[in-house]
Amino acid sequence: MRFVDEYRDAELGRALAAEIVATVDPGRHYKLMEVCGGHTHTIYKYGVDDLLPDNVELVHGPGCPVCVIPMGRVDDGIAVAHEEGVIFSCFGDMMRVPGSRGTLLEAKAAGADVRMVYSPLDALRIARENPASQVVFFAVGFETTAPSTALTLMRAKAEGVANFSCFCNHVTIVPPLRALLESPDLRLDGFIGPGHVSTVVGARPFEFIPGDYRKPIVISGFEPLDVLQSVHMILRQLAEARCEVENQYKRVVPYEGNPHALQVLEEVFELRPHFEWRGLGFISHSGLKLSGAYADFDAELRFPVPGIRVADPKACQCGEVLKGVIRPWECKVFGTACTPERPIGTCMVSSEGACAAYYNFGRFTREKAVV
Amino acid sequence: MSCSGERHCITCSDEGVPMRVVDIHAPGLALCATEEGVKSEVMTDLLGLVEPGSMLLVHAGTALQLIESPRGRSALDRAAR
Repeated sequence: MRFVDEYRDAELGRALAAEIVATVDPGRHYKLMEVCGGHTHTIYKYGVDDLLPDNVELVHGPGCPVCVIPMGRVDDGIAVAHEEGVIFSCFGDMMRVPGSRGTLLEAKAAGADVRMVYSPLDALRIARENPASQVVFFAVGFETTAPSTALTLMRAKAEGVANFSCFCNHVTIVPPLRALLESPDLRLDGFIGPGHVSTVVGARPFEFIPGDYRKPIVISGFEPLDVLQSVHMILRQLAEARCEVENQYKRVVPYEGNPHALQVLEEVFELRPHFEWRGLGFISHSGLKLSGAYADFDAELRFPVPGIRVADPKACQCGEVLKGVIRPWECKVFGTACTPERPIGTCMVSSEGACAAYYNFGRFTREKAVV
Repeated sequence: MSCSGERHCITCSDEGVPMRVVDIHAPGLALCATEEGVKSEVMTDLLGLVEPGSMLLVHAGTALQLIESPRGRSALDRAAR
């Protein structure tokens, strides 16, 4: 497949792996965090970690927005879905995320009109087709997804689709990274940076990582060779005592991002003072809500939302997994009480969640191949 | 039901599907198709001119970047130089 096959070549992969082996200091342990859940998915689907030396450890970051949604926000969404005359729409993975009293899928089974959509535009279409109903879109995602919600809201406003609204849970990537870097129980040597978030925000927002924390970051694509090359670029920076922002994913990521997308985000959203992240707690200026100009489309203003904070289940260690403190299989309930079919924690729900990636690709039982 | 499989979870900020423009429906709206032939309507407001044949990187129904224009070199070719 054009645009993809070029980045899955096994021979090139082995050559890159050999270069990585030649770059690392055998006496040093390297701990690199892949920020995006998509990178986690690629690493375990293609066995990228099998090609790395034992002293290069990959840990999984908080870059799966489904995984960081706290239970209270899921409960809020379910409460709105049960409102009379509401059609509640969301992406597929959100339907299985457990709140304190079940999932949106279970709410649907109990009679709520919950519909899966592939884009916010689909939700707007449902609103046009059902003028007698209130159509709510459960907006989740980082800066990659937020422009899609923003453009849809701009269309809704321009067309006067008054029965459409948005329950906004969009988050931003920089604040949690800063929180992780401030965390005393986490020692990281570098970051595999988020590729598609960067198509929107560019590489510049990540300059604080080398600037303030003296860590290298490489913006990376999502094919196996992209990830391998990014690991090599980070290790080369460390070997040469450099730390800077490098862009491995130049084929789609301009250093300055997409200015039009940033302008759209600025118009439709504004930062919340605080937003709760599962496992990471409240992080300042890390969540988006609709701006005053779009307040008429804010589901939180249109419907009663309980807004009750719910503690994570005690057995679940998603927070430590999201911070890279423990590996997924080290969680007490991994693969036993918590499985993709019956997830306790959100990391087991999304295909991008670190626990689901380990579970689905059997990585916790496989032995490393000899390079 | 889930977004899992070859394609990633839509919400995770990392799904980027290469799609080719088949037809322009309206300003900022294009009918696009994946390599497998799955067609859907895509918002193209964030890009400049797109035309039938343009290759786009699409996330959650929105084109984030132009990968290849029928009249220009592809981003892949440019990256290789």
